[in-house]
Amino acid sequence: MSPKAQLGGIYPRSEQLIELTRSYDRSKTDLDTVKRHVETDTLELVKLQDDSGFETFSDGAFAWQDQLRPVVESLDGVTTGTRYDRWFDTNTFYKKPTIAGKIGVHAFEPKNFIRTDLLPRTKGWKVTLPGPYTFSELSENLNYTSQSDLLSDIAAAEHEIIKRLKDAGVSRFQLSEPCLVYRPYREQALGRNELDNALAALRETVDGIQAKFSVHTYFGDATTILPDLLKLPVDTIGIDLFETDYSKLKIETTKKLALGIIDGRESNAENPEWIAETATRVSKHIIGGDIVLVPNSDLKFVPRRVADVKARALADATRLFEEAR
Amino acid sequence: MSKLYPVQEIGSLAKPRWRTKGLTQPLSSKDLVEAEEWAQRLGIPDFQDRAKQLLAAQEQNNRVRELLELSTIYGLRLFEQTGLDNVGVGGEQQRVEMYEHVIRGVEGMRVLGHVQSFDYKYFNKAVAESKIHRKHPIYLQEFLDVKKNAKGELNVPITGPYTLVDWSFSGHYSGGRTGLSLKKQKQEAKREFLLDFVEQVIRPEIRDLVDAGAEWIQIDEPAITTHPEPADMDLFVEGWNETVRGFNCKFSDHTCYPSEIGYKVLAQYAPKLDKCTHLALEFANRDGTSLGIDAKHREGYRDLEYFIQNGYDGEFGVGVVHVHDFSGHVPSGSGKEAGRNILESPELVRDRLLYAAEVVGDPAKIWANPDCGLRTRTWEVTLAKLISTVKGAELAREATQ
Repeated sequence: MSPKAQLGGIYPRSEQLIELTRSYDRSKTDLDTVKRHVETDTLELVKLQDDSGFETFSDGAFAWQDQLRPVVESLDGVTTGTRYDRWFDTNTFYKKPTIAGKIGVHAFEPKNFIRTDLLPRTKGWKVTLPGPYTFSELSENLNYTSQSDLLSDIAAAEHEIIKRLKDAGVSRFQLSEPCLVYRPYREQALGRNELDNALAALRETVDGIQAKFSVHTYFGDATTILPDLLKLPVDTIGIDLFETDYSKLKIETTKKLALGIIDGRESNAENPEWIAETATRVSKHIIGGDIVLVPNSDLKFVPRRVADVKARALADATRLFEEAR
Repeated sequence: MSKLYPVQEIGSLAKPRWRTKGLTQPLSSKDLVEAEEWAQRLGIPDFQDRAKQLLAAQEQNNRVRELLELSTIYGLRLFEQTGLDNVGVGGEQQRVEMYEHVIRGVEGMRVLGHVQSFDYKYFNKAVAESKIHRKHPIYLQEFLDVKKNAKGELNVPITGPYTLVDWSFSGHYSGGRTGLSLKKQKQEAKREFLLDFVEQVIRPEIRDLVDAGAEWIQIDEPAITTHPEPADMDLFVEGWNETVRGFNCKFSDHTCYPSEIGYKVLAQYAPKLDKCTHLALEFANRDGTSLGIDAKHREGYRDLEYFIQNGYDGEFGVGVVHVHDFSGHVPSGSGKEAGRNILESPELVRDRLLYAAEVVGDPAKIWANPDCGLRTRTWEVTLAKLISTVKGAELAREATQ
């Protein structure tokens, strides 16, 4: 095994950018100033990834207001009003999409998703999108009577978005599916039929696109659905190690397992030795595949300087893992 | 309360510009123009004397003290002018916000930096770096100012220990025992942290408030419905019961904006909350805007049934007006849209109260309140919403009697 480290999703804004956005919100700063500082934050994260030896770069998604918003803003048939819902069990919120018509994709700028102009051309670029099942679960559906039709149309729309982003140079896509494993907000456990619909939508999303894909679960235990996830036509499956009991797992696979090994919901900086030791322990449960070290979720739930320490620790741990082999 | 459908305020009120600016820098007479206008509207006869004192206060601490008491008086008078039966603490004018205000008074907690709440809104998030202790009283001075100046009944909202812990990083509290899974370690850390918060911070605070004359303490626990799993609900109940143990005053819980099954789960545990005789809950946010007192029109109040089914026999503070931005249709007779607000009509408030009374089975158990604090609304909108709530409660009384 030769693990690499990756970031994904929304990275926390710097205190300076936060101050500017608050000032903009009070009409005391213009939008151009905010945009310029988004670029500064992006370049700082690029440098951090470069200095730490990352190979696939995230741009931090500093302009994203929540994990769904750029997707929503690229779709026909989906709107957001003023209703905010809690993002799982965190003290953060997202604008709840309302699906009011048939879902389609309208023209959009790839830079709404990723700042390719600020990323180095020598590295791979990664974008994180909500998986179709999670998008459907976190939306209010007023249009579709069949879940499979809804999922199929979301998948088709995301497929289209991904194709355009790939044309813009993105090489890796993370499809985040926390709703597959986190369900205390639902009365029913995830049933077989629903899981099959979700998996079918994921297959439809990635079908025929020559890019690398990971399906990442977080905030819940993935053990029961892991065998199903490992059959998906993607190269990487992600699990949240702070929720997943891996002690009884025995995974035979040719895929990579992305270990969510730094906790995006806790400020303690995991030290690289602990990360490497834990990754080594988990790797003993995996036969044939490889591992990737990643945060369990977006790091937007911790302040920026905490996230920076965690990100560096992740990269350092990959080297320690290699040395200990 | 002897009358049916009493009306209460349960949270914070927007802070005027002069109050916010004056906390960090001296004020000029120009800064107080808005304060003077509102002094006339709210009937604050000694405004000129207080303004002179405020402008003359060169020393920061003196100015801040004057400012906080004055803005508390404004909050109280605004609420009193609407006819509320319980004015809380005048809109929490002396607090930064519900989380950071407490954290600043806790030794061992350090603010780490901002975390996004939504869009361009953030909150400062703290970590427990060592065993925690209360540094100084947190709500006492505010309560003393309120008690001195209020004309109506009071309740004192405080942020609950479960929410404070859930919104913080546990840091020092690591869950101890090795050999546990990472998940179990996190849960054990949360319990250690919670019980210390209760013993070291919240109980001393309640002791001070009760000794100073507080008769009703509202414990705000918005975080609990975000963790509707048994382990967390049991932890919440354990923390609550330890919090209220031995105190002789009325306790209520305020929990708003739950996850989809949040109230259903809270309803199962509410009867286990010692001394919790009142639940202030949010419903208007998810209710329709048509008039009517049947289940179809009042779909937003459906979850009340769960509390009755589970045997909760206390009072309900029912959210009857929305406190956030509104976009949607407002039928004739139900109110009107004003900018990003809905101004609910007294008739809509009435119907919501009557339906809640029908579900609960006893109108004497129903209080009217906004869904939560009105701090994101202007004072004009706040006045309009609260006046409508008071009028709606009057209409509900007439309809019931």
